[in-house]
Amino acid sequence: MTGSMPAELTVLAQLLLNGLALGAAYALVALGFVLILNATGAINFAQGDMVMLGGYAAVALARVLPVSGLVLLPLVMLAMAGFGLLFSLLAWRPFRQRPPIFGLLATVALGLTLQEAMNAVEGAAPQAGPTLFGPGEIRFGPLGLSRASLGILIACLGLGLAQAWLLGRTQFGRRLRASAQDPVTARALGIPVDRLIAASFMLAAALAGAVGLLLSGPYFVTPTAGNDLILRAYIAVTIGGWGSLKGAVAGALLIALFESVVAGYASSTVATAALYGAVLLLLVVRPAGLFPAPLGRRA
Amino acid sequence: MRLLAALMLALVAIPAAADPVRLPILVPVTGFLSLEGTSQRNGALLALKQAPAGLAVGEVVDTATAPENAVNALLRVLDQGPVPAIVAPMLGTQMLALMPTALEEKLPLITVSGTASLTEQGNPWVFRFFPSDRLAKEAHVRYAVEQLGKRKLALIYQTTAYGQSGAAYIAAAAKRHGASLVFSEGIDTDVKDLAPILGRAAGSGADVLLLHLHAGSTALAIRQVAALGITLPVVAGSALHQPATAALLDPKELKGVCAESGASPVSGGSPRLDRFLADYRAAFGADPDAYALAQYDGTQMLLDILAKGARTGEQVQAALAADPWDGVAMHYASDGHGDMAHSVVILCYDGLTRVPKIVQRYDGLDAG
Repeated sequence: MTGSMPAELTVLAQLLLNGLALGAAYALVALGFVLILNATGAINFAQGDMVMLGGYAAVALARVLPVSGLVLLPLVMLAMAGFGLLFSLLAWRPFRQRPPIFGLLATVALGLTLQEAMNAVEGAAPQAGPTLFGPGEIRFGPLGLSRASLGILIACLGLGLAQAWLLGRTQFGRRLRASAQDPVTARALGIPVDRLIAASFMLAAALAGAVGLLLSGPYFVTPTAGNDLILRAYIAVTIGGWGSLKGAVAGALLIALFESVVAGYASSTVATAALYGAVLLLLVVRPAGLFPAPLGRRA
Repeated sequence: MRLLAALMLALVAIPAAADPVRLPILVPVTGFLSLEGTSQRNGALLALKQAPAGLAVGEVVDTATAPENAVNALLRVLDQGPVPAIVAPMLGTQMLALMPTALEEKLPLITVSGTASLTEQGNPWVFRFFPSDRLAKEAHVRYAVEQLGKRKLALIYQTTAYGQSGAAYIAAAAKRHGASLVFSEGIDTDVKDLAPILGRAAGSGADVLLLHLHAGSTALAIRQVAALGITLPVVAGSALHQPATAALLDPKELKGVCAESGASPVSGGSPRLDRFLADYRAAFGADPDAYALAQYDGTQMLLDILAKGARTGEQVQAALAADPWDGVAMHYASDGHGDMAHSVVILCYDGLTRVPKIVQRYDGLDAG
């Protein structure tokens, strides 16, 4: 029994390590989702499709610029930030004086349009994008992690910390949070609320672009790839607390934990059922999520 | 007098024969099956392009994924006048929805759908030019058991209708051939990390790994099998034969991996196949898969029937049911239930290129 313990622990540690990389990517998607939710009060159902678009942007850039994903990452984020601005003009600005449901429906429509547009342009076949650190695996003693997963982990950690700094420690972040909490007062104080909301869309789209590139290498990209991600982001935010950034990260990691560890010991269908069972239980015992935010009470 | 009557009849017949026949091509070119649906469309269009001038004109209609889309598309086509046959979608659920209308309208449906139950409904208007899942999975298991000498099978399948139906046929075929399914588990199409399931499959005592997955999951599984250093031989489903799937993988990751398919056009092997490959690449700028070739063969047979004068659904149906056809992929003939294709190939990758070699051919398959 004692002899088998280290092997069992190794298996568990390996599953956790694999789950951590995926969870980090899910966390970035969820963070982008929360950014727009907090800025506009509306759910952006196209966040997953923005990830998909980022994946295709990476594939397209890699065709003309066959370099490491590390070089392409800022280019993709920049391009997607531009798209985020366009997205805000189409999905939020025309409906900003109307109830949030208008914005929500606009994001659904734009997301579906993106899917069909990419289907028409690139076809439905999965495509592989670049990776940050190339192919192969890195060993950490008995544990192994693919270079692609390591790239996801490092990039997501870096981007997550950068976002936390931007929102928590800069004037831009303080203004953004003030606008989200009380846009009327913020406007009265001279804060350019509309511009800050547009900036939130740009930031969320840039994060989506980063995840798109990071996932397109090891997991490929298809026009419908965003559908699964938006569901995970939505659940992550529900678990973590509606509008809470740290809650979104915690929720995303929890989802990945189920997908990796529970699937490792039972099956992926059991893992999915167990995850949704846990979400239902959480909604009963802690309806505001693990880290309730003020917006959650307002929503 | 009789000569005059014959001449009059011929004169009347000439304009009718000169009118191009409308040939609706109802295929899913958007949605989750659009990769395969586009291949199906291209195969039909290439056959039409090579048909005698003025014989037929194709009308492509996208059926997307919902059964009602396919039914609406068919009704719209029929509203515009009679047609002698339909190139019908490869999506099994759409075919099942179209079959009652085909029966009512006496309209042959020419498809490449693998859903076995289509030809088990007693509907005489369905003609399938692709091996059914029943036959494909028979070959899949037979190759693992007879050629690789394996008896303990691990199966990873997709939890979609396609995946579950194939898994049932694999389980039945394994039993028939004296093999045991020591591991069998389904995964959703959105599962990205396959390491947990692959680890359990490898640790199950199996001596071969069978995959019955859609294209993306197939590529992910093969990539992760290579990354995890799993040494079990892998025999995949037909999704791997599609050039777009193999293109996702490094040739080294594909080394030793085999798959079943109706055909492997990119592998070449005959002058007719080489010509088809060249024509397809010239027309569409892409490599064809087995669905494109099967639909090309099916449409060519249909066009030949039309060229011989058939103009009604009943005439076309009678010819499809009775006549054999020497296609590019294989020899086709109805088994009395509308199944025209009875051959499956096994192809394997050598680790140097993404073009597989056909290593085994099963003709006249009958899984009972």
